[in-house]
Amino acid sequence: MKIPLLAACILLCTAQLGAQDAETDSNHAGYVPVLSGGIGYISNVSGGTSTLQPAIDPVLLLPLGRHVLGESRAEFVGIFQRRNGNGDYTGQVFSAVDYAQIDWLANTHVIVVAGKYITPFGLYSERLVPIWIATFQNVPLTYSIGTRTSGAGVGGQLRGVVLQTNKYSVQYAAYYSAHSNAYQWEAARTTGFDASVYFPAHRIEAGISYQRFLDPKQINSEAVYLSWQPPKIPLDTKAEYDHSYYGRGYWIQTTYTLSQVPVANSFFKRMELAGRLEQVFPLNGGGHGVPGIDTQRAGGALNYYLKDNLRIVSSYQRQFSSAKDVNVWNIGFTYRFVWPLWPGGK
Amino acid sequence: MKRRRSRYYGLIPIILVAAGVWFPGMRLFARENSGKQTTSLSPENTEKTGEQVFVENCSRCHKPPMTISPRTTGTIVMHMRVRAKLSRQDERILLQYLAP
Repeated sequence: MKIPLLAACILLCTAQLGAQDAETDSNHAGYVPVLSGGIGYISNVSGGTSTLQPAIDPVLLLPLGRHVLGESRAEFVGIFQRRNGNGDYTGQVFSAVDYAQIDWLANTHVIVVAGKYITPFGLYSERLVPIWIATFQNVPLTYSIGTRTSGAGVGGQLRGVVLQTNKYSVQYAAYYSAHSNAYQWEAARTTGFDASVYFPAHRIEAGISYQRFLDPKQINSEAVYLSWQPPKIPLDTKAEYDHSYYGRGYWIQTTYTLSQVPVANSFFKRMELAGRLEQVFPLNGGGHGVPGIDTQRAGGALNYYLKDNLRIVSSYQRQFSSAKDVNVWNIGFTYRFVWPLWPGGK
Repeated sequence: MKRRRSRYYGLIPIILVAAGVWFPGMRLFARENSGKQTTSLSPENTEKTGEQVFVENCSRCHKPPMTISPRTTGTIVMHMRVRAKLSRQDERILLQYLAP
């Protein structure tokens, strides 16, 4: 009984996929393998310690037809510091596979993801981490909440759109990750979901994330977040509150693009000013990425787009804690690239 | 016993999502892919323009690119459909807008 049912399901899916292919043929989009990603070079000074951080984060996209996509992102980051504080720069390059996954784009409501995937928790981990996207080059103080242990899961994920109208769109992601110690596939046993509602007319998105950490010690992590880009003002405000057994905290970031400056508009429209405020309060001693003492950070960023894919980035933040107050400076550049790996396409 | 129970936590979101999304999804699946150019997911949904979909979705996370090579458009939009959880309808409108 089960085998004919399974065969019928496969046949139905195949027929539907064929119908979708026919529909997609009405445009001239090419589906060639693509090497994309970001390149960056950041000079960081934190508490008087200078660090040079060149980084290459290539993303490989391999479409298998119109409904299956293989994708992977690697990360090569150099950390170079002065020997004995004022000598030559020395250090090493770290490499990691951020994700390597197969996606089956079944329909609007269901995208099936299998492999190593970025943990969908909050706003930052999936969406704002790439160096060519990040307004501030350092992640928020609460970043480790909900992304332990490696920021990725190994297992399966379902994601997609629950409901979409012209007024709003409800999106979700739900996942299960197995424990893995395999090289470049490290992950903890976790499960959780992320759900958000987006109002396109007002460009407001509100969401929640939940994670149950299933390896010892079993804990819950939660996040609520908000994103707002008012349609008539070139402003982008994002905020997130995170909570777990080890701590709680928030960050709020606002970016303003100076495209409405009436003088020298062609110069100013490429410039963005940003501010970020963040606080974290440890619970039960903190740890696992959460600072062990109350920590606050406030600062601003000034980024300038030389081209839409090449920008100069700079930021200053002051970090306050009972242990020590430090200045955190970043200056450098980021570049986004998209290269087809196969000639042709339509 | 406790360990066994914790094992099933992993199934909870999967079951919830399957129940909440897959079943209504199957009903809409056929309608969505029936070949009609004005596919809608709900009665009040009317077709958006490509520019609307592009601006509304891309700028939620990053500055929209000025140019995309038509050769790579299909692949990039597939990638963004997964990352940004775009609907099939938005994907189709985007492809038509970026590589007409």
